[in-house]
Amino acid sequence: MSIEAQNITKKFGQFTALDNVSLEIPSGELVALLGPSGSGKTTLLRIIAGLEFADSGTVLFDGEDTTDQTARDRRVGFVFQHYALFRHMTVFENIAFGLRVRPRSMRPSKEKIRAKVDELLKLIQLKNLAGRYPSQLSGGQRQRVALARALAVEPSVLLLDEPFGSLDAKVRLELRRWLRQLHDEVHITSVFVTHDQDEALEVSDRIAVMNEGRIEQVGSPDEVYHRPITPFVYNFLGNVNLFHGRINEDEDTPAIHDAATGDLVYVRPHLLEIHRQPNGGANFRATIKHINSAGPLVKIEALTEWGAPVHVELSQEKFGELQLAKDEAVFIIPKELKVFHKKVV
Amino acid sequence: MRRVATAATGESAAVRWILIGVAVFFLGLFIFLPLAIVFSEAFAKGLGVYWASLRTPDALSAIRLTLLAAGIAVPLNLVFGVAAAWAIGKFEFAGKSLLITLIDLPFSVSPVVSGLIYVLLFGFQGLLGPWLARHDLQVIFAVPGIVLATIFVTFPFVARELIPLLQAQGQEEEEAAIALGASGWQTFFRVSLPNIKWGLLYGVILCNARAMGEFGAVSVVSGHIRGRTNTMPLHVEILYNEYQFAAAFAVASLLALLALATLVAKTVVEWRARRQLAESALWNGEAV
Repeated sequence: MSIEAQNITKKFGQFTALDNVSLEIPSGELVALLGPSGSGKTTLLRIIAGLEFADSGTVLFDGEDTTDQTARDRRVGFVFQHYALFRHMTVFENIAFGLRVRPRSMRPSKEKIRAKVDELLKLIQLKNLAGRYPSQLSGGQRQRVALARALAVEPSVLLLDEPFGSLDAKVRLELRRWLRQLHDEVHITSVFVTHDQDEALEVSDRIAVMNEGRIEQVGSPDEVYHRPITPFVYNFLGNVNLFHGRINEDEDTPAIHDAATGDLVYVRPHLLEIHRQPNGGANFRATIKHINSAGPLVKIEALTEWGAPVHVELSQEKFGELQLAKDEAVFIIPKELKVFHKKVV
Repeated sequence: MRRVATAATGESAAVRWILIGVAVFFLGLFIFLPLAIVFSEAFAKGLGVYWASLRTPDALSAIRLTLLAAGIAVPLNLVFGVAAAWAIGKFEFAGKSLLITLIDLPFSVSPVVSGLIYVLLFGFQGLLGPWLARHDLQVIFAVPGIVLATIFVTFPFVARELIPLLQAQGQEEEEAAIALGASGWQTFFRVSLPNIKWGLLYGVILCNARAMGEFGAVSVVSGHIRGRTNTMPLHVEILYNEYQFAAAFAVASLLALLALATLVAKTVVEWRARRQLAESALWNGEAV
């Protein structure tokens, strides 16, 4: 089922959570709403679910207006950040809940419910924990039960609010790969909220980057990472160096000249090269201040000739070749710049 | 570890024994002694008299009236308490703190004053008195007045007990239930109610104990008509004033038994309720 949010505005008192937001989610896609906290992503998800109502704007499911429908009528699967499992029910009862509360005429038989729950338990690999209570499960297990519970009613849309937000790093990584796999199998239109750019880049088909109640950019992970259209998107998806400078448009790789009034120039740390000689082309001088060589990349902090800090990431191999030392004067050559002209910003 | 803590924070043996002795002495003097006297006086003239004084028409009528008043007040305050606590615990609205204050009002007003309010409202000289008289309705010095006064006095118990519980639980589980297709009633009975049942039971027990034991407010509105508007506490007073000590204490012993039963039930339920609250806190704390 496709989802279309049109011109959604939502205010909480004086605070504008969503400011005229429109978003289209094609059927079968896994879309991430990515943004910092307070950017309105959870509010948008809750409005799509019908748990919250917009001040203005409409939500269409398959082109049909659902604005006045409650969460109950919309038949969405919703996975809460803190799981929201029913604490007095076992895992089995939790998953069966959505089927058991159906009106008698639509309720499956006891055997059918049992079969469905068993099937889902197998899917989330918790078959032997059916009789446990939520308080006896780990965070990752609870999250999977929450997902199974949402899937039990065979929703046409699956909405997940920070699904891995409260899990530790390792379980998180495992679960998000599992979610991707699950989506490849089930192909249900899914929207998930996250503030973790790695999670969004790894799991989703498309990403909507949100900031201060607006959508900054919508695109595939590749697009938003490599072709960000606003400084915010560039900044939010990965580490950056920010310079203020005047750019000479005639040159292939524009030089950075520091000037407080200039354009915004962004460079990712791994797109800077360090050289001992000014190898021709655009470059600037810098002094190395700190070297951190633990991890897959060597992280170097340096100070530019005009006194701004700059972060550079080198491969271990390159670092080994250069044999850099602290307080050494070097030349830095940007391989790729992203310039946002002042008027755009 | 334990020994160290005791040595560092404990008192000397003499001080400990004196403190414990004082506590036991006061407990004995003010709780156990009166309780013992109630029962010994009740049975002073033998089991036959005890039994007979409970079976006089007036005593039976007082017992019936007390059960009736509690039987109406407790369910009403159960429904009201759950509704009010639900609204306060789960929703934000204007006038919320005013509502909380209003719910607490019966605790802060003297029962005699609350009885008097009803007399001023429904009495013959009262605001609504003439209208009631014209329609041949009697509230004051009749059963409706007693029920009303009982409801008023026991108003806060259930709500007070549930508000912190519901606040601690938040509303994510209810949202989950609704999103899964449950109706409002299904959500309430299958999700919300099981999560508050011990707190609710605790509130009901306290409410019931107060409803059956209430003296002040009921005394003002009752008019003490024997066999008609006497509740058990009022009946005890009348008998006592008439020097029928054995009979008075026999009825009083029933109230004392009720108190003891309440105490036991309260202890059990309180333990479960506290565990439920702690679980909610833990549950939410863990999740955040």
